[in-house]
Amino acid sequence: MTVLIVDDHPSFRASARALLEAEGFEVVGAAADGESAVELALVLRPELVLLDVMLPDMSGFEVAERLAGAAASRIILVSSREQGDYGQRVRRSGALGFVAKDRLSGAALRELMGAAA
Amino acid sequence: MRRLVALLIAVGAVPLAIVAYRIQIDQLGSSSARSLAIVAAGLSFLLAGLIAWLRRPENRLGPLLAAAGLLLLLRQLRYSDDPLLFTVFFALGELGYALVAHAVLAYPAGRVTDRAERVLMKVGYATLIVLPVATLLFHDGSRRLLGFDEAARESLLLLVGNGEVADALQKALRVSFYGVLSALFIAAIVRRFVGASPRTRRIFAPLLLAAVAIALRAIFQSVSTFFDPPFSDEYLFWWQIGAFIALPVALVAGLVRARMARAAVGDLVLELQRTPPEGLRDALARALDDPTLELAFWLPERGGFVDPAGQPIELPPASESRAVTELEHEGRPVAALVHDPSLLEEPRLVRSAGAAARMAIENARLQAELRAQLDEVRASRKRIVAAGDAERRRLERNLHDGAQQQLVAVALKLRAAQGKLGDPAVDRLLSEAVNELQGAVDELRELARGVHPAILTEEGLGAALESLASRSAFPVRLVEAPEERFPADVEGTAYFLACEALANVVKHAQASRATIDARRMDGVLVVEVEDDGVGGARPAAGSGLRGLADRVEALGGHLRIESPAGGGTRIVGEIPCGS
Repeated sequence: MTVLIVDDHPSFRASARALLEAEGFEVVGAAADGESAVELALVLRPELVLLDVMLPDMSGFEVAERLAGAAASRIILVSSREQGDYGQRVRRSGALGFVAKDRLSGAALRELMGAAA
Repeated sequence: MRRLVALLIAVGAVPLAIVAYRIQIDQLGSSSARSLAIVAAGLSFLLAGLIAWLRRPENRLGPLLAAAGLLLLLRQLRYSDDPLLFTVFFALGELGYALVAHAVLAYPAGRVTDRAERVLMKVGYATLIVLPVATLLFHDGSRRLLGFDEAARESLLLLVGNGEVADALQKALRVSFYGVLSALFIAAIVRRFVGASPRTRRIFAPLLLAAVAIALRAIFQSVSTFFDPPFSDEYLFWWQIGAFIALPVALVAGLVRARMARAAVGDLVLELQRTPPEGLRDALARALDDPTLELAFWLPERGGFVDPAGQPIELPPASESRAVTELEHEGRPVAALVHDPSLLEEPRLVRSAGAAARMAIENARLQAELRAQLDEVRASRKRIVAAGDAERRRLERNLHDGAQQQLVAVALKLRAAQGKLGDPAVDRLLSEAVNELQGAVDELRELARGVHPAILTEEGLGAALESLASRSAFPVRLVEAPEERFPADVEGTAYFLACEALANVVKHAQASRATIDARRMDGVLVVEVEDDGVGGARPAAGSGLRGLADRVEALGGHLRIESPAGGGTRIVGEIPCGS
C-alpha cells in the first residue's frame, strides 16, 4: 500500500517511514506542510495519506478538506494528542480515522482501512 | 468714581427729561400720559445703561444703553421750533434707535462679533445719519414732516427748497430703516436664538422678545406710512412704549439674575457640606444654572483629565455649543468645567463656584483618581489572567512539539526494530520499552491537557467541557454547553472553573455524580457545577476555590459557592462575556 507521510517534525517522518516500511507499506513521499501535502498527493496519488493535524501553514483538517474533492487517497489523521482533544473535528473532516502518533502501527492503519472497506 | 459719574449723568438727565416732556406737550400737543411714557422709555434705557456700566465697567453694553437713552430723550428736541435745536436733533435724533439695535446685537458681551450683524449695524447707522441730513438739505417748511405737527420748522442746512424731495427722503428712511433693516434685525435675532444653547436661550429670551417687539413696531410704522394701519395709532404707540421699557428691564433682570446666581454660589458651600462627592456635579449645575455642566478632574500622574467615574476623557474644543473653564489651585490644575458657552460671559460666577466647591472638587477628584486606579488594577488583573493563559498555551504547545514528539519518535523506532532481531527476549524488552514510552506519552499528554487543553483553543468551550465530562473518572453529565465562541480569557476561565470544581468533587465530595451546565444569560456566561456529595466546602480553606474566585473576579465576574453540610456542592461562576 502506498503512503504519503505529512508532518512538520522530521523525526516523526523518519521514524514513521521506518516503521511503516518495516511493516510492508510503500512510503512514496513525505511533506512538511499543508501546501506541499496537497501538491504531492495530487501528483503521487498515494492510497493513504498519513496526515498530521498541526501543520505550520494550515491545519490537517483543512488539508483533508482540500484533498477530499481532488484526490482519491484515503486520509488518516495523526497527532501526538488524542482524538478527544479535537472534539468533533476529526469526524467532520472526512478523514478515514485518527491514530495517536505513539500508537501508530501498520496494524492500526490496516484496521482503520479494513473497517472502512 | 464711576458711581459719582453715573450719578451726575442721572441727575443731568432729569432736566433733559423735563424739557423732552414739555416739548411733547407744548409743541405736539401730546397728552401728559403719552409724554410721560416717552420720557420714561428714554430714562429706562439711561438707567439700565448706568446700572450695567457700574456692574460690568469693562463691558461696552452699559455705555451703549446709556447713550441710547440719552439720544432717545434728546430726540424730542427735534420737535422744538428753535431752528438750531430742530436742525441738530432732526439730524442726530434717530441715532438713538440705531444705538438700541446695536445694544441688542452686542448683548451680552458688549461687542458685535458676527460679521453679518456688524454690517447690518453699520448700514443702520449710515441710514440714520445720511437720510435725515439729506432731508434737511431740501426741507423748506412747505410740507409737513412725517410725525410732526403742522407748525413749520426751519432747517439751517437748507440747500435747495423742495418739499417733495424732503418728503421722499423721509419715506425712504421709513422704508429702509424702519422696514427693511428692522426685518433684517429680526432675522438676525431669530438666527441667533435658534443657534443658541438652551441656557443662552433662557437668559436671552425676554431681551430678544422685547427687541423683536420694537422691530415689529418699526415695521408697522414703515407700512403705515403708505397704508392705513389695521390698528389705531394709540395701540401702536403703547406697544412701542411697552417694548421700549421692557428691553432695558429685561437687561437689568439679566444682571440681577447673575447677581442672584452668585448668591446661589454662597448656598453651594452649605449644600456641598451635606452632598456626597457623586452629587457635586448636580450641585454645581444648579448653582450655575447649567444642566449640561460636566466635570473633569485632573490626574497629575496621568497628565490628563478623567470623568467622575475615573474614565479618561478629552476636553472638548471651544465651540458654539461647549466651553471649558479650567479650575486651578495654587497654580496647579485641579479640575475643568465643561459648560454652556454663555457662562463665559459670567467668569466671576464660574470662578466663585469653583472656589466655593474647591474642597468638594478635591474630594471628588481623589475619588475619581481612586476609581481610575481601581480600573487600572482591574485591567491589570485581566491582563495577568490573559498573560497566564497565553503562557499555558505556549507551554502546552512546547510539550506537544518537544518532549512528546521525541518520545513518540523513539517509540516508533523501537517498534520498527521489533521483530528484526529475531530474539524473542529482545523483542519482549523492546515491547516493554514501547509500552513504558506510551505510558510516558500518556502522562505527558494528560499534563499538557491540564496546562491548557488544545480542544479549548481548537473547538471552544462547549467541546472542551464535553471532553472534560467524558474523561471524568466518575459520572459527569453535561446539561448544556454553548456552541458559540467567547473571548479566550472567558473560555479559559469557564473551563478551568469546571476543571477545578470537578477536581474538588474527586478529592473531597464523595459524590456519585456531578453535572456541568454552561450557558449565556444577558451578557454573562454562567457556569455551574453541582454534585451530590457531602458538601461543606469552605472557599477560604483551600487555594483552589480562592484562586478560581480571583480569576473570575479578574474578568469582572463573581463566584458563588453553596455547599451545605450533607447537601452537595454547587459552584456558580458568572463571567461577563459581552452582548
